[in-house]
Amino acid sequence: MDEDVLTTLKILIIGESGVGKSSLLLRFTDDTFDPELAATIGVDFKVKTISVDGNKAKLAIWDTAGQERFRTLTPSYYRGAQGVILVYDVTRRDTFVKLDNWLNELETYCTRNDIVNMLVGNKIDKENREVDRNEGLKFARKHSMLFIEASAKTCDGVQCAFEELVEKIIQTPGLWESENQNKGVKLTHREEGPGGGACGGYCSML
Amino acid sequence: MAADSEPESEVFEITDFTTASEWERFISKVEEVLNDWKLIGNSLGKPLEKKEDYILHDRPFKMKLNSGKEHVIKFCLKMNILIFSLLNVFVDVIPQSMQDLLCMNNDFPPRAHCLVRWYGLREFVVIAPAANHDAVLSESKCNLLLSSVSIALGNTGCQVPLFVQIHHKWRRMYVGECQGHGVRTDFEMVHLRKVPNQYTHLSGLLDIFKSKIGCPLTPLPPVSIAIRFTYVLQDWQQYFWPQQPPDIDALVGGEVGGLEFGKLPFGACEDPISELHLATTWPHLTEGIIVDNDVYSFYVGDFVTEFFKICRRKESTDEILGRSTFEEEGREIADITHALSKLTEPAPVPIHKLSVSNMVHSAKKKIRKHRGVEESPLNNDVLNTILLFLFPDAASEKPLDGSSSTDNNNPVSESEDYNLYNQFKSAPSDSLTYKLALCLCMINFYHGGLKGVAHLWQEFVLEMRFRWENNFLIPGLASGPPDLRCCLLHQKLQMLNCCIERKKARDEGRKTNTSDMYPGDAGRAGDQLGPDNLKDMDKEKGEVGKSWDSWSDSEEEFFECLSDTEEFKGNGQESNKKGGPKEMTSLKPEGRLYQHGKLTLLHNGEPLYIPVTQEPAPMTEDLLEEQSEVLAKLGTSAEGAHLRARMQSACLLSDMESFKAANPGCFLEDFVRWYSPRDYIEEEVIDEKGNMVLKGELSARMKIPSNMWVEAWETAKPIPARRQRRLFDDTREAEKVLHYLAVQKPADLARHLLPCVIHAAVLKVKEEENLENISSVKKIIKQIITHSSKVLHFPNPEDKKLEEIIHQITNVEAIIARARSLKAKFGTEKCEQEEEKEDLERFVSCLLEQPEVLVVGAGRGHAGRIIHKLFVNAHRLTESSDEAAAMAPPEEELKRMGSPEERRQNSVSDFPPPAGRELILRTTVPRPAPYSRALPQRMYSVLTKEDFRLAGAFSSDTSFF
Repeated sequence: MDEDVLTTLKILIIGESGVGKSSLLLRFTDDTFDPELAATIGVDFKVKTISVDGNKAKLAIWDTAGQERFRTLTPSYYRGAQGVILVYDVTRRDTFVKLDNWLNELETYCTRNDIVNMLVGNKIDKENREVDRNEGLKFARKHSMLFIEASAKTCDGVQCAFEELVEKIIQTPGLWESENQNKGVKLTHREEGPGGGACGGYCSML
Repeated sequence: MAADSEPESEVFEITDFTTASEWERFISKVEEVLNDWKLIGNSLGKPLEKKEDYILHDRPFKMKLNSGKEHVIKFCLKMNILIFSLLNVFVDVIPQSMQDLLCMNNDFPPRAHCLVRWYGLREFVVIAPAANHDAVLSESKCNLLLSSVSIALGNTGCQVPLFVQIHHKWRRMYVGECQGHGVRTDFEMVHLRKVPNQYTHLSGLLDIFKSKIGCPLTPLPPVSIAIRFTYVLQDWQQYFWPQQPPDIDALVGGEVGGLEFGKLPFGACEDPISELHLATTWPHLTEGIIVDNDVYSFYVGDFVTEFFKICRRKESTDEILGRSTFEEEGREIADITHALSKLTEPAPVPIHKLSVSNMVHSAKKKIRKHRGVEESPLNNDVLNTILLFLFPDAASEKPLDGSSSTDNNNPVSESEDYNLYNQFKSAPSDSLTYKLALCLCMINFYHGGLKGVAHLWQEFVLEMRFRWENNFLIPGLASGPPDLRCCLLHQKLQMLNCCIERKKARDEGRKTNTSDMYPGDAGRAGDQLGPDNLKDMDKEKGEVGKSWDSWSDSEEEFFECLSDTEEFKGNGQESNKKGGPKEMTSLKPEGRLYQHGKLTLLHNGEPLYIPVTQEPAPMTEDLLEEQSEVLAKLGTSAEGAHLRARMQSACLLSDMESFKAANPGCFLEDFVRWYSPRDYIEEEVIDEKGNMVLKGELSARMKIPSNMWVEAWETAKPIPARRQRRLFDDTREAEKVLHYLAVQKPADLARHLLPCVIHAAVLKVKEEENLENISSVKKIIKQIITHSSKVLHFPNPEDKKLEEIIHQITNVEAIIARARSLKAKFGTEKCEQEEEKEDLERFVSCLLEQPEVLVVGAGRGHAGRIIHKLFVNAHRLTESSDEAAAMAPPEEELKRMGSPEERRQNSVSDFPPPAGRELILRTTVPRPAPYSRALPQRMYSVLTKEDFRLAGAFSSDTSFF
C-alpha cells in the first residue's frame, strides 16, 4: 500500500478552542462524529492516505489544542508543515475575530512562505449562525487562503476540504519533494561546465 | 519519412536486433532523436533581423549509446536552437541553415556557440562524445560517423545541420552536413597550430576559398568579405589597482584588531579586469574595394576577469573549509575531542567570585596545560582579540546581567536587512552565532586554517561550559526560547542561555531564601524553586499518582525537584477528594500572579487569581523533532491518542496545581473559565422569582466522566509553581547542549554556520552595491536571496546547490569590482563635462551588462579616445621594453587589402597588432557543374598567434551535377 504513495504531507489544524478541529479530523479520518469528544491536550495525530487526481498522498495530520496556554507549544509543530487548516466556528463570532491572531502566529513561526493555508468555517449545521459565509470568503481572499464551510456533524464539506488542500499542495512546485525519473532513452539534462572541451554557451574567438 | 512506414518499422526493429551493426543501430537512434525533437521537415528558423535581438537557447542532451566493440564511446547529442524575435517565416527551396550561411546579421556574434561564430548557423545538432576524454580520432571512424549522419539526415528529411565532433575536445573540430531538397552543404574544418605562411593574408585565403569552390564559371561571381580585428589590452600599468590585500600582520599587531573579525573583506586582490578587447569590424567588403573607413566602429569585447586570487569571497573559503575538513577529519577531530574530553572530565569547580575577564584567562590556561604553547595554531593575540570580540562582556570587570546582555545586542532594527536571517535560516547579524561564523571564516583564511578553526571552536566550547558553571549569561543572544527560524547552532546556544538563566535564578533564589526572603510571587517566580527538601520529596513521590508523575521530564533527577509538603501534607491529600474545597478555603493562597478581571470563584465569590505558572520547556528544533516523532509513534489508535494526551498533560497538571494554590477552594469550573473559557457555557435563565440569572456549566466535553481534564484536576494538589517539580530540567538540557557542542567536528561546524556566512556575504555585497548603484546587480542579489532561502530551509542542503549560491555571490562581487575598475580606467569621476560624464557612465554600465558595446563615434568619441589612449600607452610600453616588433602581418595585410594605407599609417603604428583576425568569405555560385543551382558558399577563418582555423561550408546541387 505504501509502495504507490506519491508523497507524505504534513498538515496542521489550528484555531480557537471548541471550534471543532478534532471533530473535523475525526470525521475525515474515521467518518464518525462524536458530540462528546474530549478537549485535546497538547497535540494529537492522525494518519490517512487519500487519492487526489490519481495521486496517492499520505497525510500526517496534527491536531492542536486551541487553549491559549497550549499555544506556546503548537508553533513548534508548524515546522515543516505543507498545509494548515485554520478553523473557526460560524456560530461564534469571537472565534472568527481571533483568526488574525492565528495568522500572525503562522506568519511568525512558519519556516516557509509557500505553505498552503485553508480557512474552514465549521458547524454550519447549527442554526444560530453568527458569521456570514461572505465574511469568511472575504477574509480568505484577503489572506490568499482556500475557503470552505463545513460541518463535521453532517459531513458537509469535510472530505472536500482535505482533498482541495492536498491538491493545492501537490500543485505547488517545490512544496513537496519527489524524484522524477526519466524513462526509456535517458536524456539527462546536463550542464556543461566551462572548459568541457565542446563549446558551452559561449566561445570567444580567441 | 520514418513516421509513415508503420509496418516497415516493425520489420526494421527485428532486423535491428538481429543483424544490424552497431552503426546501423546508432543511425536509427539518431533518427529517433531527430524525430523526438521534431526537427523533421522544413526548418523552424525565423529570419533574423538584428543580432541584438536573439536569445541563445542551449539545450544539451545526453544520449547513451554503445558504439563499436573496441571503443565504447558514449555519444551525446546536443541541440542548439537560436530563437529569433522576428516571426515572419519565408519559405524557400533551400534550407534555412543554408541561407544563414550568407546572412550577415549573424557575423561575429558576441556570445555564441563556436559553430554559430564559424558558420553563422542559428540551429544545429551536435553529436559529441559524452565523456570528455573520449575522442573520435581515426579517420575511418570519422568517415563512418559522418556517413551515418548523412544517412540519418537522408532518411528523416531533417534539414537541420548535423555536426559530429571529432578529435580531442579542446580542438573543437566539427564536421557536418546539411541536406535539403536536392541540395547538400558539407561543413569542413582545418585546424592548425601555426598559420601557414601563404594564408596570413587575404589573397592566400581567397585562393583557397576559390579552389575549394572549384567554380566552373568565369569570371567568378564577387566574393564578399567581412573582417574583424580584435585588439587585446592587457597592460594596465599606469593604473594601479587601488585595493590592497588586507594586512594580516597589522591585524595581529592589535591596532586594527577586532574590526577585522566582524567584517568580510570585499573586492578583488588584483585588478578584476585583465583584458579589454577592442574589435574593429569591416562588415561588408568586396574584394578589391576598400570602403572608406568612416563607417568603421569599435566594439569593446568581453572582459575576461582574472581569477580572483587570495581575496576571494569568504564563503567560498568556507566551502573549502567544509570540504577540506572532511578529508582531515580523522586526524584533526580525534585531536580535538581528545583534548576536550580531557578537559571536561573532571567537573571544574565553580568559582563564584570571578570576573569575566579572568575566565577567558583561566580557560586558556587550562588549554595550555594540555598542549604546548608552541603547537597552538592560533597565536595568543589573535585569540584574545577574537574572544574579546565575541564576548565583549569579558572586557568589563563586571559579570553580565541578563538584561544588559540581551538588550544591548538587540537594536530595534525591524529593517528588511536585519530580518534576512529569517530567509537564510542563519542568525541575526548582531548575534554571537553570526560573529562566530565570521571569526571562524577569518581564522580559516588567515590564521592557521583548519587547525585554527578547531582551536577557536575548542576555546568557544570551553567558554560555554565556563559560563554555564558560573551562571554568566552568554552575550549576543536574544532572550527567550530558541528561535526556530535561526540555525540549529544558534538555537542550541539560546537553549544554553535559557538553562543558565534558570539556574541563575534558582541559585539566587536559594541564596535569598536562606535569609528567608522569598522572591515568591513576583515575576518569574515560577522558576525559582525553594530549598531542597529531599526527604519530603521522597514521600511525596509516593503519594502522587504514578501515572502523572512518570511523564514529568525530571523523574530521574528528583533530588533537584522541590516540593514542600510540610504545610500541605494534610490538605493536599484531602484536596483530592470531592468536596475538598470546604476545607481548602482556610488555606493561605500562594503563587498568585494577578487578579483575573472580574471573575470570582463560584462557591465563595472571592476574586479569581491567575497563578504564577511554570514556563513551558524551551525546545530546539531537533528536540522538537524527537518529541513529535515519539508522539507520532504512538499511532492513531484510541489508546495511542490517550497516551499521547497523557504525555503532554504534565503542563496541564502543573497549571492546575498552581491554580489551586492561588485560589484555595476553587472548582474545575473556575479553572476552566480561566484556561478554556469556551468550555464554560453560560445561559440566561429565569429563576423561580422571575429574575434573569446567568447560569453556567461546563461544556459537554468537559463533563465526560473521567476525561483527562477531570482526571488531572482530581490528581492536582494545591502547590505553587515554585515548589512543583520542574517541567524543564535545565541541568540535563545544558549538559546535553554542551555535549552536542563538544562533539561538533569542524566540518559540522562549517555546515552549521554556512548560512550565517552566506548571509554575511550577501549583506556585504548589498552594501557595496549601494555605493555603486548597479541595477542589474540589485536584481541578482534579490534572486540570490530567494534562491538561498529555498535551499537553506531544507535540513541538509546539497553541496552543489550551496556551491551555486556561493558562485552567484562571487559573480556579483566580480561585477561590482569590475564596475569599479572600469570607472577608474575610464576616469568617469575625473570627467569634467557633465554630458561627457554621463556618456561615459552609460558606456561603462553597458560594458558591464552587455558582451559587446558599440563605441559611439568610434575613435573620435569620448570613450573611443580613452580606449585609443589606453591602447597606445600599452603599445608604447611593450615596444620600448621589447624591441623585436613581433607581428608585422597586419600592416602587410592592410596594404594588400586596399589603398588608403597612408590614412591608416598613423593609427596602425601607434596601435598594437591585433591579437586575432577573423575573416568571412562568401559567395553564391553553382556547384559542382555550371548548370547546377547557384548555392551559398562560405569560408570563415580565424588567425591568432597560435591558432589557425578554416571553417568552410560548401554547398552543392545533388540533382543536377
